[in-house]
Amino acid sequence: MKKSIRIAWLYPDLMSTYGDRGNVIVLERRSSWRGVRADIVPVTLETPVSVLESCGLIFMGGAQDRQQKLAGEDFLKRKGPVVKKMVESNIPALFVCAAYQFVGRYYKPYQGDIIPGAGIFDLTTEHPGDQAKRLIGNVRAEIVNPHVLAGTVIVGFENHGGRTHLGPKMKPLAKVISGNGNNGDDGWEGVIYKNAIGSYFHGPLLPKNPAIADWLLEKALGTLAPLSDTLERKANESVR
Amino acid sequence: MGLFDRLVVILTKLVSFTSTLLGLGAGETWPGEVALMLRPNIATSLSERLSDGVILVAGTNGKTTTSLMVKTILEHIGDSVVHNATGANLINGVVSSFIRNADWLGRVRADVGIFEIDENSLPVILRYMTPKRVILLNLFRDQLDRYGEVDVIVEKWIRALSSLPKETVFILNSDDPAVAFIGTSVKGKAVYYGLNDAGKYLAVREHATDSTFCPSCGRRLTYRGVYYSHIGVWKCTGCSFTRPDPTVNRWPSTLPGLYNQYNTLAAVALAKSLGIPESAIKKSLQSFAPAFGRQEEIESAGKTVKLFLSKNPAGFNASLRTVLDMGAKELLFVLNDRIPDGRDVSWIWDVDFETVPASATVLVSGDRAYDMALRLKYASPAGREPQVFTDLSLAFMHARERNTHEPLYVLATYSAMLEARKILKGRKIL
Repeated sequence: MKKSIRIAWLYPDLMSTYGDRGNVIVLERRSSWRGVRADIVPVTLETPVSVLESCGLIFMGGAQDRQQKLAGEDFLKRKGPVVKKMVESNIPALFVCAAYQFVGRYYKPYQGDIIPGAGIFDLTTEHPGDQAKRLIGNVRAEIVNPHVLAGTVIVGFENHGGRTHLGPKMKPLAKVISGNGNNGDDGWEGVIYKNAIGSYFHGPLLPKNPAIADWLLEKALGTLAPLSDTLERKANESVR
Repeated sequence: MGLFDRLVVILTKLVSFTSTLLGLGAGETWPGEVALMLRPNIATSLSERLSDGVILVAGTNGKTTTSLMVKTILEHIGDSVVHNATGANLINGVVSSFIRNADWLGRVRADVGIFEIDENSLPVILRYMTPKRVILLNLFRDQLDRYGEVDVIVEKWIRALSSLPKETVFILNSDDPAVAFIGTSVKGKAVYYGLNDAGKYLAVREHATDSTFCPSCGRRLTYRGVYYSHIGVWKCTGCSFTRPDPTVNRWPSTLPGLYNQYNTLAAVALAKSLGIPESAIKKSLQSFAPAFGRQEEIESAGKTVKLFLSKNPAGFNASLRTVLDMGAKELLFVLNDRIPDGRDVSWIWDVDFETVPASATVLVSGDRAYDMALRLKYASPAGREPQVFTDLSLAFMHARERNTHEPLYVLATYSAMLEARKILKGRKIL
């Protein structure tokens, strides 16, 4: 097991809409409780890509429209290609909410031009029009991939207008039990590709789903000792 | 005001009165709702009866406290005020307050209206009435599932407020960049209030910050100092947009907490803009009592309980900082996820619970008690877990039985606060 890890938090000032910080707090604590030193490395507009490249785990969260535009320009041009290379070389990564849409191939708004994505995941998102309802609320889903976590129930809150569909090489993360997930039609939630996960569960995905946190950490660090997750389980079960 | 409007007021007043007699409650919103159904434009004719006009108060946090302060000042100088009830801050709540205020001939008795207005309802209200004054307090992230993004609200506000005539005076928080920005696009005069006190700058920046980018050009803002959240002495690194110099920047606050300092400054700036002398303002605010669940103190079976309504990250951080400054040693956090609280509890991860000292006794409760407990566990380097009470009354019982003579500081979301007061006082009052 490695004794330290650098966790890149992409655009903490721009893409951190609603409790996204919970994810990095959980990764940091669950490392330190096992004697592993975790450094949270903020990577934003001005940060050189070499800093990003020095990290062993990546997190990117949600954004408001205006901030997403600012971050988007930088991500497409500078950080995105590096993140793509890192994901391809099996660096674990987590993309939630807006970031999940953003690492796909494109986002098609109901009016205006198609917004290109970073193409890290083969998935596309389309907004079905301003009359379509926004998918908002608690979600429960059962993990299907990775197989080691299959059957684990994950919970979260979704709030998205866009509908996401996965390309042929992409595997869904989970099967929706209640709520909407990727598009409200095919019953899937999230995506997994290599060691990278994308999800519509916005903000703090990891606190109530420590299995995903540990899976990401193990991909970076090697096998980890189990922690007592009684409280985590109760919080997970309290979401209906 | 036409005869028909008056008949509608009399009718709804009568129904509301009967309902009160039958113990069904007067209703803070439905009498207005009924009146609006019968006369969609009734808000216009009602507000035109106010000889001294309408004052609107909007912003994420501090609406109730600020509007009550303004009411206190105006009543002190002899004005007769109509004011909407806490939380009844949509148009139906405003019309309801007129109905309550009217006499049995359907005539409005007040000469000035002070209305706290929900963020989304401000543009709606402005379609019906032209205020004499508009106080804008702040804009924080609050229930994204209900209100949407801060940027979107700013845009809606600017569109609605820029159509007001040049006679409308704006009382604006200079230290909130988004609020200050609104001052650049209105026709009327803008009076700025804010703090000039470097001693109150935060040593470490809190996390729940929304507005760190220029509302004018989108470039990053720099701060000479931050008071809390994104409130501070700021300027843009890209364009020439800078914090306006606040003309009202000093006033002793009778309530604890920096956010109350701001609420006080807003109320004082409003009063000064109306030409009320400082001595009268000072005298009227001396005995100002906090509103429902806003730093209310309740004695419950020998235990002092202090209530702090804390409903979004900025408000929660402000309350937390205040109670820790007050030396809180016993804390109870109550988190509900009902409609008035917001269904999404993700925001608790933006609250800096890391500031709670390890020596404090921490209890948690509410519909989402385990979410709150988890947040506190991860705030503690050692992973210390708080005591969880899924039944709120048991949490209070536990606190009493500890018998420590320490006050219990309760930070709770909206519906949780209602529940807490009901348990502590044995009845439900707003």
